[in-house]
Amino acid sequence: MTVGETPSAGRGITRLRLRPPSRLFLVRIVVMFVLAGIALATPSFLSAPSLTTLLTTISFVGCLAAAMTFITISGNIMSFALGAAAAVSAMVFVVVLNAAGYATAVIAALAAGAAVTAAQGCLVGFLRTNPIIVSIAANVLIYGVAQRVTNNETVQIGDAFLHSLLKGKVFEAPVEFIVFLAVIALGQAVLSLTVFGRNLFYVGSGLRAAETIGLPTVRTTIGAYLWAGLFAAVTGILLASRFHQANMEFALRYDYDAIAAVLVGGTAIQGGNGSMLRTLVGVAAVSTIQVVLLLYGFREEWRLFITGLIVVAVVILYSSRQRQ
Amino acid sequence: MSEQGIGSRERSELQPARAQADWLRRLSSPGLRPFLVFAVVLAGLALVDAGGGRILTGVTVFSTLQSSSTFGLVALGLGLTMVIGEFDLSVSGVFGLGGCVAVLYGNDSAAFGIACALGVGVAFGVVQGLIVTRFAIGSVPVTLGGLLTANGLAYVLTTNRTLSFDNIDLALALNETIAGIFSIRSLVTIAFFAIAVFIYAATRIGRDLIATGSNRRAALVSGVGVGRIVVSSFAFSSTMSALGGALLSYSLASASPAGLADVLVPAITAAILGGVSLAGGVGNPLGLAAGVITLSLLRSGFNALGVPPYVNDVASGLILFAVAIADAPYLLRRLMAATAWLRRA
Repeated sequence: MTVGETPSAGRGITRLRLRPPSRLFLVRIVVMFVLAGIALATPSFLSAPSLTTLLTTISFVGCLAAAMTFITISGNIMSFALGAAAAVSAMVFVVVLNAAGYATAVIAALAAGAAVTAAQGCLVGFLRTNPIIVSIAANVLIYGVAQRVTNNETVQIGDAFLHSLLKGKVFEAPVEFIVFLAVIALGQAVLSLTVFGRNLFYVGSGLRAAETIGLPTVRTTIGAYLWAGLFAAVTGILLASRFHQANMEFALRYDYDAIAAVLVGGTAIQGGNGSMLRTLVGVAAVSTIQVVLLLYGFREEWRLFITGLIVVAVVILYSSRQRQ
Repeated sequence: MSEQGIGSRERSELQPARAQADWLRRLSSPGLRPFLVFAVVLAGLALVDAGGGRILTGVTVFSTLQSSSTFGLVALGLGLTMVIGEFDLSVSGVFGLGGCVAVLYGNDSAAFGIACALGVGVAFGVVQGLIVTRFAIGSVPVTLGGLLTANGLAYVLTTNRTLSFDNIDLALALNETIAGIFSIRSLVTIAFFAIAVFIYAATRIGRDLIATGSNRRAALVSGVGVGRIVVSSFAFSSTMSALGGALLSYSLASASPAGLADVLVPAITAAILGGVSLAGGVGNPLGLAAGVITLSLLRSGFNALGVPPYVNDVASGLILFAVAIADAPYLLRRLMAATAWLRRA
């Protein structure tokens, strides 16, 4: 029996409904088992450094994938500007941290990421400009402005403030991983338990229909981008905390890994369904594949190629679900 | 008729708004738009130059044509996929891959290198087109996968290095000025545009493309080979991107998997400036040529003015925002609502 996450009209709470298993679901289960098997059988996969790397990568890419999930569910396919938002947030975090302390820095970074992304959301929500093109334009604009403002410099966290960063491990897992799990939980709560979340699914399923029945489509779309910006900012804060510095090169390719994770997890690219839990599975799967490849001696350059093939395969595989 | 149910007061309120919208709509009509924009840009640059002779020179024309050759073919291919209502996101990946393949296999014979690049382009385009038609998937997710795969393949083939091309003579020849303003690269680009314009005007293909983009089902019913059109469009787009990448790599005597130039942003901008709409069903190669020239002119103008590099990026982003907004489906209705609200206030 599969568990499906779908909004239930008129209740405001997502019900978990049971459906008979589809062929696609069985394929996914089999692939997961095979992947887990290969991973566990790989020498040195279960070693501490390899697992730590895996969990850290999952945390960074995963927070961005959680951000991407909001945008995908809302029917706006993806955004190429979330990595840029993360980089901006990272820089704002470091600069404000050096000047005003931890709490202010976190708030400033979240605000920066949210503002930059929500601005795109305003264009997309209000005018319904093509979301992909808006994100590409925003990406170019952000990096252009950043060039002027930062002169391509890296900003370091001052020694006086290093102590205030969350460091080390909690229950043997890196701190970033705990933050990532919290982000997933928060995102899932927003999707399942709020009216906004329910509206998001409706807007993503069919914009015209949602408008016709009077849903606040503009506000919902802007909200989706706002949440995406917040989660992208979390990614930036995590990166800055881990590397004790920030520059605009952070999170440069994360958008691609993020959308791959979202698609592998099972969220449809046209929008209207999906969940944070699926994204969690997707991030774990994609990162595991990448780490296993690395351990088997495939060099870094194969990563992008394999990710591309996975995206194509997943897109083809899930297309059959629409026609069922 | 919808007017019958409306009271006379609402009707008279709507008339001026609709007349204004008509005027706006006619001015921004896709057929006229590219040439209007070109005229505006030209006038703007002339104004800034104020007779100083810095901008409107033969050098600017040459650099405009050179810049056009970099992304012009990509814009042509991408634009035609937009005309049929699809979108080829993979163009920048295939562009870089074409360059890498051409340099990798063209050291002994440049013609062979170009042939390899073209082959790769055709293969990518056909495969993507077949996936889109056979599985009835939207073009964006498929070409997203294509982008990653093409880009990744470039990294794999070059083992993550920048390659250099031995045939320096060819590199110099490709960029040598002919008649003061042309070069082999720009002549090749112009030739392909000319062929496209001719085919569009003289054969059924242009009409079939528009039909496929306007209403696919109607086109299918009226006998247009929609499947063939879609696959051919993607094949054409990827081939043009690969060719553009190969030419650029040869002229710079190097190839990099990261790409030697960002082509996606200028290509999209030029396509929409050129009168192609993201909604599909509108556009032609002549307008695309105008869009490409306009954008290149703007860039060359900036270079002639001596602006710092970040200005180009910021300007690119702002222009792309502007064309995206101009093409937005809800723009007109929001403007009309705003003017109606203002008038009522």
